[in-house]
Amino acid sequence: MIKSRNFYRHLVSVIDFQLIFLVITLMFISFAVIYSACSNYGMSFKYLSVQLLAFIIGFFGFVLIVNFNYQYYKYLDKFIYILSSVLLVSVLIFGSVKRGTRGWFNFGFISFQPVEIAKIMFILSLASFLDRKSKETGKISFLISVFVMLVVHLILIMMQPDFSSTLSYFPVTLILLFTIGIEPFYLFCIVIFGSLAVGIPLLETFLSMQLQFSQSKTFLTNFIVFLKANWIGVYAVVMILCLIISCWYFLWKLKIRIAPIYPTILCISILLGCLSSLAVERSLKDYQRKRLVVFLNPRFDPRGSGYNIIQSKIAIGSGKFIGKGFKKGTQTQLGFLPEQHTDFIFSVIAEEEGWVGAQIILFFYFFFVWRAFVIAKNARDRYGSLVATGLASMFMFYIVINISMVMGMMPATGVPLPLLSYGGSSIFSSLCAVGILCSISTRKYTHS
Amino acid sequence: MVWQKEDKFSYDIFIEKHKTIFIFFVSVFVCLSIRLFYLQIIKGDRYRKISDQQRMHNTYERAPRGIIYSEDNVVLVENKFVFVALFYPFKQCQVPSDKGIGKLNKIFGKDVRLMINMGYKFGKVVKLADNLTLEEMFKIRENKLNFKGISVLKESRRVYCYPEATSHITGYIGEIGADEIEELLKRDYKIGDYIGRGGIEQIYDKYLRGKDGGWQIEMNSIGCQIKEFMYIQPEIGASVYSTINLKLQKVAYDALRDSSTGRGAVVVLDAKTGAVKTLVSCPGFDANKIGTKDFNKYLKDKKLSLFNRALQALYPPGSVFKIITFAAAVELMNINYEETVLCNGSFKLGNRNYSCWRKQGHGKVNLFSAMVQSCNIYFYKLGLKLGVKNLRKYAKKFHLGEKMGIDLPNEKKGFVPSPEWKKSKLKMRWLHGDTVISSIGQGALWVTPLQMACMISAVANKGICRRPYVVDRIVSPNGDKIYSHKLDFEERISLSDRVWDLLHKALLEVVESGTGSRSKIPGIKIAGKTGTAQNPQGDDHAWFVSYAPAESPEIAIAVIVENGGGGGYNAVPIGRKIYEAYFNMKSEESVK
Repeated sequence: MIKSRNFYRHLVSVIDFQLIFLVITLMFISFAVIYSACSNYGMSFKYLSVQLLAFIIGFFGFVLIVNFNYQYYKYLDKFIYILSSVLLVSVLIFGSVKRGTRGWFNFGFISFQPVEIAKIMFILSLASFLDRKSKETGKISFLISVFVMLVVHLILIMMQPDFSSTLSYFPVTLILLFTIGIEPFYLFCIVIFGSLAVGIPLLETFLSMQLQFSQSKTFLTNFIVFLKANWIGVYAVVMILCLIISCWYFLWKLKIRIAPIYPTILCISILLGCLSSLAVERSLKDYQRKRLVVFLNPRFDPRGSGYNIIQSKIAIGSGKFIGKGFKKGTQTQLGFLPEQHTDFIFSVIAEEEGWVGAQIILFFYFFFVWRAFVIAKNARDRYGSLVATGLASMFMFYIVINISMVMGMMPATGVPLPLLSYGGSSIFSSLCAVGILCSISTRKYTHS
Repeated sequence: MVWQKEDKFSYDIFIEKHKTIFIFFVSVFVCLSIRLFYLQIIKGDRYRKISDQQRMHNTYERAPRGIIYSEDNVVLVENKFVFVALFYPFKQCQVPSDKGIGKLNKIFGKDVRLMINMGYKFGKVVKLADNLTLEEMFKIRENKLNFKGISVLKESRRVYCYPEATSHITGYIGEIGADEIEELLKRDYKIGDYIGRGGIEQIYDKYLRGKDGGWQIEMNSIGCQIKEFMYIQPEIGASVYSTINLKLQKVAYDALRDSSTGRGAVVVLDAKTGAVKTLVSCPGFDANKIGTKDFNKYLKDKKLSLFNRALQALYPPGSVFKIITFAAAVELMNINYEETVLCNGSFKLGNRNYSCWRKQGHGKVNLFSAMVQSCNIYFYKLGLKLGVKNLRKYAKKFHLGEKMGIDLPNEKKGFVPSPEWKKSKLKMRWLHGDTVISSIGQGALWVTPLQMACMISAVANKGICRRPYVVDRIVSPNGDKIYSHKLDFEERISLSDRVWDLLHKALLEVVESGTGSRSKIPGIKIAGKTGTAQNPQGDDHAWFVSYAPAESPEIAIAVIVENGGGGGYNAVPIGRKIYEAYFNMKSEESVK
């Protein structure tokens, strides 16, 4: 009894109060903004009570996880990974469908989205794997195992289908691989491969729509028509490859020795990227591609997929310096802004509280992620650092993807803003992640 | 060194990578902040404007048009208020129930379901029924709960009080057409507005139309009204005071209608100012019937009742033109008016015969008697002596072949022929015969009744021409005079006094003892000239132009009865009726 009291005293003395202060502040802001955003539907009470309930449950989860030593996760990694996969599989079997996605466990009064917690479990198990295999980073089998771990989750999530939830997996995996010491060049090649595979079909869609839309012949559109018409694209790829090889040869002659493996891998990834772009082009339907490129020019489809982004930009921009006032945002209260209590909650803040409020929220998030990175730096062991880095980058990409989406810099995807958006699962898993971060920070090495 | 189990080297590597990631993270947040600043501070005004635009909505309430008065302050055109049933989808965001629509169908006697659904779909106000009777209105008000979104409003309607007689002057109004909307949008008109067509309604539209009022409302994204910001009371248009004398107008219209063919025109000008006291084109039309089925009757009418004969119809002037030939002859040739010419009924030029209207001839005629009896032979010879150039010059001097500049739309220019015109258009040489028939106002000479009225008014004033006008002043609703006619266009036809004196003498004699004797009114000296214009397409047109009192002219009249036959028999009595009415009116006024 005395022992545990001592432990709690220790816990309270070392816990990261800055992080907890930020989380609680954001939660209260979230209540206020959801109250304002939902008063238009006349359902503020319902949404607020669900959010409050999620916060309370999440808080208990948070307390439990803080007390639990994170180092045990390291030995439970296989179990955690299998558990997360089982969750994702069972939601495909037993889950209920909302908005076309089979991603919810329905418990009557509350429903839970397992993909949110699966992401955190994935980070825990991936960090453990990387920690254990940190000496074998050069081996190709290592990369393949990581790739398999990633792809199993991605496929399970894509089967729901929930495209937007997969988005944070890529950057988190890449950052963790980078942290563990994989040569940046290989990561660069992977990024090139991926962006070529997805980017070429999207670019083509965008340019063809631009052509339809503007009807004016610019240099670029002429060039693309030229490329498509005469197999020039193939020649261009071949030329780029030759250029890379000749550059390497030139440098070799200049006595700047670069191992031949680098240009080879680069060339292979470019070639593979171009080839797989053909596969992606076949598999993505026309409207899907259209939806993805609309963010580049929302006027392509102002009443359809472009509508959300246009209205969100109008809402943010019309807030100006000090905003229209709490509950007085016209875009919000008159229902022009879509999904205002979930994905577009940042637009509500920007409209009603203006640039001042939105910038303060940005600062809060900045400090929040910054604290998470500081925890990663001060962790007791490499596993703790890896987990903290993974969670920090997960939060970072959630925030960046959501905010840049509402400001019209990214495609409209259904990524919630952590800790602010309405959504029980999102709040609960965010609080659990914060709990893990606190668990790491309380167990950091202290000289005393 | 922080990590417990791992070596220092791997921690250092980690810290290095950590720094890179941290720098990346900071730069991403800086990017977001810059974008936020750009959207809210730099582009803020633009987006605020867009957000206001998409929530504000204007509904208009049409302003009643201004009232048109006659010279004697009688209302010619006014507004009456009728009740209309509107479907206004903004307030309750609901369409009436099926039962409600069934009831509405019964009340209006037509199916309104489609109209309501379209209005709801596009968020537009739809007019369901016009001109509701009180009974219908109360039925709708009673069932208010069943008729969601249906409201009954007052709307102003144009009423033309003296439709047949004055419709050509007042004109009428019609909805803006698709072809002209682009031009008019720049001038602050809206789609669905009414605009004046013809007459005073067209020319003075900008004064008459008033200022539309309406509500500015706030709407949400699905088009429901949330708030009402303000209501602007519509402002009635300015009142137009015309120069038309309603009594004379009615007398002239009735006289024309009762004439032999019932078609023709009368123009009465105030000889001193050029104010149009009467402008009648017969048959008239009823401007109240615009937009109804009855109106199609006018469009198909063979009598062309929509056609304003007073300004738009072109007739040969006939003998009325002899006034000009007379003036030219006296001015240019210093003619001896005692000198006589023998009229035996026909005049041979080349191998063609040109006859006088009186088969047996007038015998020996001099300038005066030729004018009084309207002898053609005398004027043929005079015209030949003058030549076509001089005839044309004098016709132009009296402003034939050009617009008189009256403030009514679609005035015609008329035409004065010339040898050059004949050569270029008809590819024929100008013959002496053409000069001969021109001298009595036949041939390719075309004039409007208004031009003849202006000509005789110039004669009455010894050459002073004034621009004819129908609107004297316009008074805004708050009593300010915003327009008044100025007697600006003053031009003198420079002829010697001798010409005018002789002409007056001759014209007086025409009424006293000549062809115009049917208009003789005891106690009043009237000077005038009749004309019987030959018409290649049909019967002759009957003309009568005159002014009175001869010593100090007050009014000048031009009368034409289309296909009416002889001017002395058919046109002159109409002139007489107008003079009677005018002088009776004057004596009544002086008694008062």
